[in-house]
Amino acid sequence: MNRPLVGSISVVLFLAVWQVVGSTNLVRSDLISYPSEVAATLAKMAASGELGSNAVVSLKEFVAGFVPAVAAGIAAGVVLALVRRLRLFFDPLLIAIYQAPIIAFVPILVVWFGVGTQSKIVMVFLSAFFPVMINTMTGVAQVAEPWTRAVRAFGADAFEVVTKAILPGSLPAIMAGIRLGVGRAIVILIAGEMYVSIMGIGRLVQVYSSAARAAEIIVLVVVISAFGFACVSLLRWFEHRLGPWRSELEQ
Amino acid sequence: MPEPLLLGTAGLAAFVALWQVAADRGLINPTILASPSLIAAAFANQWSSGQLPADLGVSLGEFALGFAISVVVGVAVGVAMGLSRTIEYALDPFIWFLYSAPLIAIYPLIVVWMGFGFATVVTVAFLLTVVSIIVNTTAGVQSVDPTLIRAVRAFGGTTRDVVFKVILPASIPLILAGLRIGLGRALIGVVLGEMFGANAGLGFRMTVYAAHLRTADVFVPLVVFIAIGVASTQLVGLAERRLQAWKV
Repeated sequence: MNRPLVGSISVVLFLAVWQVVGSTNLVRSDLISYPSEVAATLAKMAASGELGSNAVVSLKEFVAGFVPAVAAGIAAGVVLALVRRLRLFFDPLLIAIYQAPIIAFVPILVVWFGVGTQSKIVMVFLSAFFPVMINTMTGVAQVAEPWTRAVRAFGADAFEVVTKAILPGSLPAIMAGIRLGVGRAIVILIAGEMYVSIMGIGRLVQVYSSAARAAEIIVLVVVISAFGFACVSLLRWFEHRLGPWRSELEQ
Repeated sequence: MPEPLLLGTAGLAAFVALWQVAADRGLINPTILASPSLIAAAFANQWSSGQLPADLGVSLGEFALGFAISVVVGVAVGVAMGLSRTIEYALDPFIWFLYSAPLIAIYPLIVVWMGFGFATVVTVAFLLTVVSIIVNTTAGVQSVDPTLIRAVRAFGGTTRDVVFKVILPASIPLILAGLRIGLGRALIGVVLGEMFGANAGLGFRMTVYAAHLRTADVFVPLVVFIAIGVASTQLVGLAERRLQAWKV
């Protein structure tokens, strides 16, 4: 049995059944839509510019929150991993925030940062920061001891220890944290925009949901999923590119 | 007192004390961020009025039911996928779509299908949770040593024996890890579901308080959610450590 073949057969089968059931109104098509209607709706929303203009807003919010979250998360994770007392001091607080549903902060963040893009940027930042930081901390703690000693033995200074030993050594853990952060940040961004916003993909979801438009909602779900998939692929490629930096260390 | 506990407690206490002092000095606008003492008062108030226990009951009910259905369905589907390559390959695309799709965006459809309120929240929690349990159970079942299964078969064991006496016990560590991840996702599902598709529960109440700028009151359900998240994760973590000790 081969994986792509069986997988494609089952997806095609699913789409075919959905098309027949929806287009013949076997189940009310306004509740479930059907693939050809979804495709037509996607083309229509893309052509009208509605999809593009809102996607740009969401994308800007995502980047503005996510990039600083990764930088700050890695920095904080390295510091906390290397300074044991500091780590113990912040541990219960960090665990509480990490295990809390960040989504529950959405209403209060809107009170603090308003209904516009600013509150969404903070939501993205918070939801991505903690997974990146916790994973970096764990990863660094694992490699810090042996690798630092090896690099130091060859006369490296503190800066070189971090950039040549600690960061490449903990790269897989850090990347896992970033991947986790992508998923969480996308959900929060969409939920935050749905909760209250002026523009954005989540705003569109809310608009079409009050009109109970299944086709439009499914289009938006597909668009958001595609974005998530693109982010993860980009991260894979980036991790692959960083490979040489890491393998230089392993030799 | 051991050092981690001491420093950790100091960290929490310093955080709360700093927050309180800043609020008392008027450095923080109380409409924007209530002080810890105001939040504690709001907590007592909501508890004695019966509002908090009622909301907590609704949320915990949805959390427990959504999680329980996810465990039953997730373990069953995971075992099937772990045992049969055909089933695994056929379901794989859907599992990954569920895992990466922003399920919250389809809540309007779920509301139309399931009705506003309890059933919608349970469905959102279920959809968010079941995938991590399926994925981990599949991995657990596939990690079972095939010679164990052959041994049971050789002694005349039935498929039922193989599943219940070999596969499930051997894959328990990975299944538990899936449950731990699932708990967090189930809680997020309850919050999301209640914020958007319900008129009862802690998540719904939070949105009501926020809309009225009652910030001290907003923090009460928030703190309760954090407590539920930490407590349930610790509980599964404890079970994991116990089972690990028992395995060795």
